[in-house]
Amino acid sequence: MTYDAIVIGAGHNGLTAAATLARKGARVCVVEKNAKPGGMALSGTLDGVEMPRMAHLVYNLNPRVLSELGLSNVNLKPLKTVSLSPDGNHVVLDGNRATRVDGTPHPEATAYAARYDDLKRFSALLAPLAERSAPGVSFGGRKLDKFSELMAAARIGLKLKLLGRRNMREFLRILLSNVHDYTLDELSDGPIAGAMAADAVKGSWSGPRSPGSVLSLMYRMSGSGPAHVMGGIGKLTEALAEAAQSQAAEIRSGAGVARIFVAEDRAVGVLLDDGSELRARTVLSSIGALQSLKLAGVEHFDAETVTRLRNIRTKGTAAKINLVLGGVPTFSGLPSDLLGARIVIAPGSTYVEHAFNPAKYGEMSEAPVLEIVMPGQIEPGTTQPDRHGMSILFHYAPHDLEGGWTDAAHARLLDITLATLDAYAPGLRQLVVASEVLSPARIEAETGAPGGHWHHGEWSTDQMLTTRPASGLAHYRFAVRGLYLCGAATHPGGDVTGLPGRNAALQLLKDGACA
Amino acid sequence: MTRPNTPDTLVSVKIGMIDTPFQPMLEPLSESQAWYSWAGYKSATSFRNVDLEYFAIRNQATVFDISPMCKYRINGPDALRVMDRLVVRDMKKVRAGRVAYVMWCDEDGMVIDDGTAFRFAEDEYVLFCQERTYKWLCEIAWGFDVTVQDWQSALCGLAVQGPCAFSVLKDAGFASIEDMKPFDLRQVEPGLWISRTGYTGDLGYEIVTFPDHAPPLWHRLREAGQRWGLIPIGYEALDIARIEAGFLAPGRDFQPSHKVSRLHRGRTPFELGFGWMVDLSTGHFNGRRALLEHAAKGPRYNLVRLDIEGDAPAGNAYVYAGKSFAGHVRSAAWSPTFKRNIALADLKAPWGKSRKKGLWAEIYVEQEGVWQKRNARTRVVEGPFMNIPRARMTPPQAY
Repeated sequence: MTYDAIVIGAGHNGLTAAATLARKGARVCVVEKNAKPGGMALSGTLDGVEMPRMAHLVYNLNPRVLSELGLSNVNLKPLKTVSLSPDGNHVVLDGNRATRVDGTPHPEATAYAARYDDLKRFSALLAPLAERSAPGVSFGGRKLDKFSELMAAARIGLKLKLLGRRNMREFLRILLSNVHDYTLDELSDGPIAGAMAADAVKGSWSGPRSPGSVLSLMYRMSGSGPAHVMGGIGKLTEALAEAAQSQAAEIRSGAGVARIFVAEDRAVGVLLDDGSELRARTVLSSIGALQSLKLAGVEHFDAETVTRLRNIRTKGTAAKINLVLGGVPTFSGLPSDLLGARIVIAPGSTYVEHAFNPAKYGEMSEAPVLEIVMPGQIEPGTTQPDRHGMSILFHYAPHDLEGGWTDAAHARLLDITLATLDAYAPGLRQLVVASEVLSPARIEAETGAPGGHWHHGEWSTDQMLTTRPASGLAHYRFAVRGLYLCGAATHPGGDVTGLPGRNAALQLLKDGACA
Repeated sequence: MTRPNTPDTLVSVKIGMIDTPFQPMLEPLSESQAWYSWAGYKSATSFRNVDLEYFAIRNQATVFDISPMCKYRINGPDALRVMDRLVVRDMKKVRAGRVAYVMWCDEDGMVIDDGTAFRFAEDEYVLFCQERTYKWLCEIAWGFDVTVQDWQSALCGLAVQGPCAFSVLKDAGFASIEDMKPFDLRQVEPGLWISRTGYTGDLGYEIVTFPDHAPPLWHRLREAGQRWGLIPIGYEALDIARIEAGFLAPGRDFQPSHKVSRLHRGRTPFELGFGWMVDLSTGHFNGRRALLEHAAKGPRYNLVRLDIEGDAPAGNAYVYAGKSFAGHVRSAAWSPTFKRNIALADLKAPWGKSRKKGLWAEIYVEQEGVWQKRNARTRVVEGPFMNIPRARMTPPQAY
C-alpha cells in the first residue's frame, strides 16, 4: 500500500506534522528509530523515578498547535523563575513581576517590568512570522503566493507603525543587538539580568554579548513563558501521537530509516533498517537537514544546496544532567515552597558570558549556567518520599570537547554540576542516589540531532526565516519533489513549539503534494 | 625585532608570467615577441604574422601550446557519477578512450564553464577548461568516492592542427593514430596521450604529456614538421579559426556564472545553442531542475552566428531588429577562408530563432581619428560557418 506521507522521526515536530496531515485526511506513517516516540521531548526513568529525559520545560509551545490538533488533555503549568544569587538575595520572576523570595518587590522590579513588557510586545509582533512558511526570495512562483507573502510582511510593518514612534524606534534599536547591553542599560549585572541572559542563549553557541541574542530572547518569550507539562513532558508527545493515531496515522517505533527512495526526481518511500520498504507519495523528514539529504542521496541535490547544508552551524552546547536525590535539597535562603519553580543559576550576565568563553576553546564551563527543575516539587503527589528527581540543563558543554566526550569527561561534567549546586544547596552532593549525564555527544547518538544541538542548527540571524535551513529552501520543500523537511532545522526553529512540523504539513497540503 | 634589509637577507620573489614546459623552445622562435598572460602562463599572441599563422591552420600544420589550460583529474570508483553530476550531458555514453565536449551549470541552470572531458580510463577523467574550478569540483564531488586533483602544472600539451596534422604526427612516429576518429583518445606511448580534438574545426590532434616529456616531444614534432610547413601559432590566429568553427570562448561569448554578480548575466546551455547536449532524462545533475523550467519557458536569449554585410570589424557591435535593440555581437572576425564578415551574437529571444528578418548591426569604425557609424545588414547563419569534410575523415588523408 502507498501512504500519502511518511514522516521520519517521532519527535514533537514529526508528530505534529503527522497529526496535522492526518487530520486533513492523509494516510500517514511515522517511522521512529528509537523504541519510543518523543525525540527530545521524552519522559524517562532514572532509578525508578520518572523525569524528563532531555527537554524538561516548554517555553513557547504554540497555542495554535494545541488548538488545531484538539490537544485539550495537555495541561501546562506556568512556572515562576527563581534566579539564585550567591549572597542569598534570590529573585523570583513571575511574568513581568520581580520580587524577593519573601514576596516584597525587588528594587529593580520597575526596570525589569519595562524590559519584559517591551520584549513581550515585540515578540507578539514577530510571532505571526513563525506561524507560516518563511517568505522565499526566488523569482517566479505563483503570483498569489508571492502576494500573500508580501501581505504578511506588510501586516507586520503596519503593526510596527501602530506601536507608536517610541516603540518602533526601540524595536529597531534592539532587534539585532545583544542581550548583555540591552539588560545592563537599565539593570545591574545581577540575577535578573543573568536569568534574561540565560534564557536568550539557551541551546545556542552564543553568549549574551553575541549579536542577535535579544532576538532569540524574543523568540523564546513568544509563548506563555516557561511551563511544566503536567504528567511530564512525555505527556505532550504522547498526546501528539494519540492525536495522529486517532486519525488513523500509524506510528512505527524501532524503525530507523536507511534510505529515502527517490525515483524520477520524486520521493516515493523509505527503506527501513530492517530491510523493509514503505511506499508513499511524500516524505517528511524531521531530522537534521544534512542528515535528511544524506538519506535521500547527495546526488539528488545541487552542489550549492549541499555546500550550504554542510555549512549550517550545529555545535550543541547544552548538556542534560538527571539526578535522583535521597531527600529534598535545601537551597540557602530559598523557602521550600519555591522548589517547584524553575531555578536558574545565572547570577549575572557577565557570569553567563564567562560561562560561554571556555566553549569557544573546546572546554566545558567551570562555572556553568544551570536550569534546575524538580518535577516532584511541581506535582507533589507524584513523588516517593526518598526519591526526588532533579532535572538540570547545563551550559556550556561544547559538542566538540577537547579530548572528546569520554567517560572521564562525563564524570567531570557531573562533578562541576554538583560543585556548582553545592555552593547554593550545601550538602546536595551527599543526597545523590543516581545520576546520568547526557552530553551533546550522547544526545546526538540517542536522537540523531546534529551536533547534539537542540535546534538542529544554531538559531541566529543568518540561519533564520528565509535562510533556515539554508537559502533556497524556505518553503519546507527539500529540492526533490514530494520531499519535505519538518524539523527544528527549518523555520521557525528549535524549542518545543510544534511550529516547524505544523507549517511543513500545511505547506505540503497547499502544494497538493500528496494529492 | 627588525631585520635590516641587507642584500643577503633580501629574498628575490619571482614575479611575472610562468613559463610552460614548451616555452624555452618556443621563445626563440618568436619574431614578434608578443606575449600575453593566459592563466598566469606566458602565451603567444602571435609568433610572426597573424595572417600567415591563420593560413597555416587551414593549409599546413600548426602547433599551439595548450599547457596553460586548467586541468583537473577526477579519479575513483565514483568518477562517472561525479562527471554525470557535474555536466549537463549524459556521460554514460562516453566510453573510456573518448573525449566529450561538456558544459556545467550552477543551481540556476547558468553555465559555469565549458570544456572537454577526457576519459582516460573507466574511473579516471581529466577535465580541460578555461576557468579555475577546483573548489567547484570539490563541492560537486563531496559525498562521492573520488579524488579531485588540480593538474594544471602536472600535465602539458600541444595542439597540432591543420590539414597536414596527421602527416606530421605520422612522421613523428605516431602512425598508430591513423584509425582514431574525432573525439578518440589514446595512450600512444607511456605518459603520452593523443586525442583527435581541437579548437580550429579542422583536422587536428591534441597531445598531452608530462612536463619532462616536453622537450623530446617538441623536437620530434619540429623535425617531422619541416616537410609539412609546421609552424607555431599564437592566440590571435587561433581565435579567427575558432570563430569560423563556431566554438565558444568563456568570458566573451558567455559570462561564466561564477564570475558575474549581477542578476541575469548568466546563460543556459539552451541560450548558447547547446540544448542538444542537455540530457534531462537520465537523473539529476547540477542545475537540472532549473533547466527543466528553462526548457519549458523557452530561452531568454539566443547566441547565434551572424553573417554581416561589408568588412567592418563588428566586435561588440549593437544588433537591432528594425528599430528595437536586439543584442550584442560577442566575437567577430573577418573570415579569410570564406571571405565573410562573421560573428557570434547574443540576441534577446525571440530574435535569432523564430524571428530573424530585419536584423542589422550598428558598427563604429575609426578612420584616421574620425568615428563613423555603419549600419550593416546581417543574416542569421544556421549550422556552422564552415564544414570541412577532411576534419572528420578516418583515416585522415595525407596532404
